Amino acid sequence: MTRTGEILLDWRLHASVLAITIIAELIGVIAVPIAIGSILLLPLLYAFVMGLLINPNVVSRAGGWLRQREVRAASPLIVIAIMPFIAKFGTIIGPSMEQIVAAGPALILQELGNLGTIVLAFPIAVLVLRMGRESVGASFSVAREPNIAIIADRYGLKSPEGAGVMGVYVIGTLFGTFIFAILASVLATSGLFSVEALAMACGIGSGSMMAACSGALAHAVPAMEEQILALAGASNVLTYATGMYLCIFVALPLTEKLYALMGPKEDRA
Amino acid sequence: MTNSDIPADPEADPKLGIADQALLLTAVCAIGLVGNTVATDATLVQSVTGIAILYVISMIGVLLTQLVPFGLPSVAWISLVGIAATLPWTPGSAWVLEQVGHVNFLTLATPCLAYAGIAIARREIEIAKTSGWKIFIVALLVMTGTYVGSAMVADLFL
Repeated sequence: MTRTGEILLDWRLHASVLAITIIAELIGVIAVPIAIGSILLLPLLYAFVMGLLINPNVVSRAGGWLRQREVRAASPLIVIAIMPFIAKFGTIIGPSMEQIVAAGPALILQELGNLGTIVLAFPIAVLVLRMGRESVGASFSVAREPNIAIIADRYGLKSPEGAGVMGVYVIGTLFGTFIFAILASVLATSGLFSVEALAMACGIGSGSMMAACSGALAHAVPAMEEQILALAGASNVLTYATGMYLCIFVALPLTEKLYALMGPKEDRA
Repeated sequence: MTNSDIPADPEADPKLGIADQALLLTAVCAIGLVGNTVATDATLVQSVTGIAILYVISMIGVLLTQLVPFGLPSVAWISLVGIAATLPWTPGSAWVLEQVGHVNFLTLATPCLAYAGIAIARREIEIAKTSGWKIFIVALLVMTGTYVGSAMVADLFL
């Protein structure tokens, strides 16, 4: 039997995902009011939590239903399952092409804003938390798959830099959708930035984080939904295409330079 | 424990062939179809047509990923195909738009996150535990940094 046959035959996995999807969509979007606006809870967040709750690695008593076999089978399906979502996003971008071209300069330049990880996280990692070389791997990027590949290639994943990037990757995987949904809903109601700018910033280079971010933003400002989704989607495609190069040629060399300046004395080149 | 417990290792996930991806995508779309009928007022026929079109767009993207040696990930190709199919000057774009209009975009992300929750491996839980609170703080700052950084730059040039 082929490997895919086996994955398809993992009916417990697909049946669980089907049940989770139905429950999550029945609950729908819930807005939780807080002091500075409201936090939007989205079906995709419940789906992730329900997935964790039946994962035997997270809740050991769940082991009776799903086994390691299903856990392994689920991994390649993440990429497959995001495809129809990404296709739908493409069809939101297409009709708004003129608007996107008009916003072109802002859209392209905001990719540089991804260096904000270094501006905000690196000094605190090195100067306040007194972290060593893992701070380089942890703060040079948002630590999604392409960024891990860069670190694996240059330092190896067993190095301190590798530990840093893997740590942030795992935290991002576990909490990223929540964090971006909260950031987007809070900033949307704060009025600090324009909604268009917040929409563009949702293009993080991760399908699920972009979904949580733009979904929360669109629910916070429903009148601008089409525009929000188009800008977020366009920015995300741009990040897919340029993110890797920004990391290799700018972000990582810059983080290395900063480490040489600010890092522990014995590590300075 | 096998190699596939190591997350995000480029070698960990064996590359799926076109036929495999087509088959798994069918399963995923079927789940999306049920989700969409629960989440929206669209009829089953409307949902089926809309999702079938998204299936075709995804598969064209998957094929392009294999055929064009640019090293762009499949998600980038799929976006580009979706954009190309719905540009105002593309013939038939109005029809495509009307059909996919019956599909809720956020609902399509729900099954994906369910798989993601189930896919968390023991090793990832261990990394989260051993990295400790410092990495947690850095990760929070990293995510806030990229979001606020991008929003600030975008605001300057809008």
